[in-house]
Amino acid sequence: MTAHAGRGRPMLVAGGAWDTARRGLPVTVTALVILGAWQLVVRLFDVPSFILPAPTDIASALVDQLTTILSASRLTVSAVLLGLVSGSVAGILVALVVSRFHRISGPVLGVAVIVNCAPIVALAPIFNNWFGVTSLASKAGVAGVMVFFPVLVNTARGLLQVAPLHLELMESLAARPRQISLMLRLPNALPYLFNALKLGSTLAVIGVIVTEYFGGPSNALGVYIAQQASLPRFAEAWAGILVASLLGLAMFGVMSLLERLLMPWHESVHGGEA
Amino acid sequence: MPESPIIRIDGVTKQFNPGTDRSVTALADIDLTIAEGEFVSLLGPSGCGKSTLLRIMADLTPPTAGSVSLNGKSPATARRDRDYGMVFQQAGLFEWRSVQRNVELPLQVAGVAKQERRAKTAAMLDLVRLPEFARHFPWQLSGGMQQRVAIARALSADPKILFMDEPLGALDEMNREHLQGELLRIWSDTRTTVVFVTHSITEAVFLSSRIVVMSPRPGRIAASIDVDLPYPRTAETRTLPAFFDKITEVREALHGMTVAEDAA
Amino acid sequence: MTAMKNPPLAPTSSEGPSVTRAAGRTSAKAAALRSRLSTGAIGAVVLVLLAALWEGYKALGQATGDRLLGLRFPVATDDLSMPGVGAILGALVEPARRGTSTILGVYLLEEASVTLREAAYGLVAGSLLGLALAIVFLHLPPVSRGLMPWLVASQTVPLVAIAPMVVIWGGKAGLPPWVAVTGIAAYLAFFPVTINALRGLKSPPKVQTEFMRSVAAGRRQLLFWLRLPAALPYLFAGLRLAATASVVGAIVGELSAGTGRGIGRVILTFAYYYSNGPEKLYAAVLVAAVTGIVFVQVLNLLERFALRNRHTR
Repeated sequence: MTAHAGRGRPMLVAGGAWDTARRGLPVTVTALVILGAWQLVVRLFDVPSFILPAPTDIASALVDQLTTILSASRLTVSAVLLGLVSGSVAGILVALVVSRFHRISGPVLGVAVIVNCAPIVALAPIFNNWFGVTSLASKAGVAGVMVFFPVLVNTARGLLQVAPLHLELMESLAARPRQISLMLRLPNALPYLFNALKLGSTLAVIGVIVTEYFGGPSNALGVYIAQQASLPRFAEAWAGILVASLLGLAMFGVMSLLERLLMPWHESVHGGEA
Repeated sequence: MPESPIIRIDGVTKQFNPGTDRSVTALADIDLTIAEGEFVSLLGPSGCGKSTLLRIMADLTPPTAGSVSLNGKSPATARRDRDYGMVFQQAGLFEWRSVQRNVELPLQVAGVAKQERRAKTAAMLDLVRLPEFARHFPWQLSGGMQQRVAIARALSADPKILFMDEPLGALDEMNREHLQGELLRIWSDTRTTVVFVTHSITEAVFLSSRIVVMSPRPGRIAASIDVDLPYPRTAETRTLPAFFDKITEVREALHGMTVAEDAA
Repeated sequence: MTAMKNPPLAPTSSEGPSVTRAAGRTSAKAAALRSRLSTGAIGAVVLVLLAALWEGYKALGQATGDRLLGLRFPVATDDLSMPGVGAILGALVEPARRGTSTILGVYLLEEASVTLREAAYGLVAGSLLGLALAIVFLHLPPVSRGLMPWLVASQTVPLVAIAPMVVIWGGKAGLPPWVAVTGIAAYLAFFPVTINALRGLKSPPKVQTEFMRSVAAGRRQLLFWLRLPAALPYLFAGLRLAATASVVGAIVGELSAGTGRGIGRVILTFAYYYSNGPEKLYAAVLVAAVTGIVFVQVLNLLERFALRNRHTR
């Protein structure tokens, strides 16, 4: 049923624009249908705002509160970025080291997979205690730990799971270990890494906002949402949620964009069906 | 033609991507009749449309033009009536089902009661000489054994016709020759009509009662050669001068058409 | 070298179904057992190392007054910031509160079982929803194209942000708090199931789908006898991710659910009364971590049982 969607994509230049439009259409239509139905249901049945404010109410609350929300977002964004960067850098470094020593890589990754099953958000109050409730480090720390494990596991897997054929080819060319790493293992690990980064970008947002929930500077996004919801000013709370969602989406989008730029050869980029 | 035709193909044409600049004519105006009980091989180089022709007969691909009748019905009806069984190049067994449950799958699809299914499955496993493997799982079987299970599966619903799409193509030479012998034995036991796609001349000569030689671009029938070597054929058959003569005849038919094509 | 023997089945999946499935031929079975044993051994070593590191850092800090070469330690080492390993483990066998006879470990396990139940319900509900979505997407590609980007977006919505709202909805509808918490767990659980199940449903090779067509199998037979069994290894990979996510969802949901119970609530309380007994918070976090790990391991056992007859794919 997907035969003509996946196969034989036209390679014409004009095809690209047409394709984008055709792909974008169902997405936009779905959004409009959902938003319209939401607005209609809220207005028709007079749904009280504690259940769901109308999209227009949320939009006007967003406009009213824009400066407050944006200043709150700035702190949250910097914590998310700091956590994402530190967690993934640490994960990549450890993966590089671990993949060098085949004897320990299996068990170490096994332990990492198991630790990754633990709800790491539970560290939030401990980190708040260690690094200070109002400090950036406690928020970024939780996000960093949450990002670290998937990045470590995926990157190491990508470094290790090289096609035997490719490995034999490199060996037949008498490539040095460093060359094998650079020319074969690293490129092979990139798709694995980006999968982890995409997952990590949303995890980092969750980690920071949960940690803020355990206490944070009054002008952080997570604190703002919780306060507005308890006041109760629901349209404002939803405006905060909207911004938080956009933040998560933007992180995800940046990662996807990076993936496209760094791996133009990969099938996920030109949407081929495997 | 002896006896009544069980398969009749009239003017079948197949074009891929018709009406575009990538349009390819895979089959052009094919006429073919196959009588009940025949073992017909479709032989030709890759790209001659032999697999496509088989897939059209099996209603896995629609023809662009022309008509096919199986057992007096359209391919779609014949498929729903389970008038044919199909064996592919890969065994394609379901890895979560035991050998026995793989073989009974067509019967299960047809809604046959369990007791009857089990009896039929046992008979089929006897036929392909794998009765002791009923409870094994596919991964515990060699490639040749898997293909024998696939044959048992294709035959379990007692089809009148057996379609085989390069079924031995993925096996090594030794296994291949062994299974060719087995296949002939199964054919003579069941008296099923077999349509067999291959690109191996020796395989076609050893197995078939008739070889349909096809030429590529666009796919056409170049020759139809009766193989009058007597059955049962054994390893000894492969050493007969008549066997080699037939191989030469078929090779010339294949070769002649490439020469003719170059001249044209 | 062991990892390289597993072929990269689905190279783009983060938790491909390859890792735990080395069982099969005896040599592979032995190798799998050996790797599991060494994982256990390394795990124990890691635990001991962490404890030693913790105690060593603490001892160093205590000896130097939290300063080394004029630099302050990032984390203070007094008993309030870093209770000793012995104190944390000891707290587990002491009474949970003054005046009660329940010891903390039992209390924590009770609360953790509440969380686990919410997570399990959430996992079941989320997985069923996720599987249903995958089946719909398989049969209706336009719906998939329209909805899929929004599903991805739904997962980037920080669920904590919505958690208070979900709890309010549950409250107004007169439902007990655990229902809302379960809903949040399900919200986090469904997505990995959808993605992996869809990949699995599409995984049967052409030979198998064409064989089903050649025997005139109906849509339902194709789904139940081919696509779903073929999707099982992928489904379990998704379920593992979903299980972790549902525990996180349950804990986060409990934070927002005013009067509820559960390990998340306990962590919040102990964090609030931190100075009364810092080791209690650490003990609670430890139990929460173990709970999440055990939950996923149960799923792994289930998977091993369900896929016992399959070799590698």
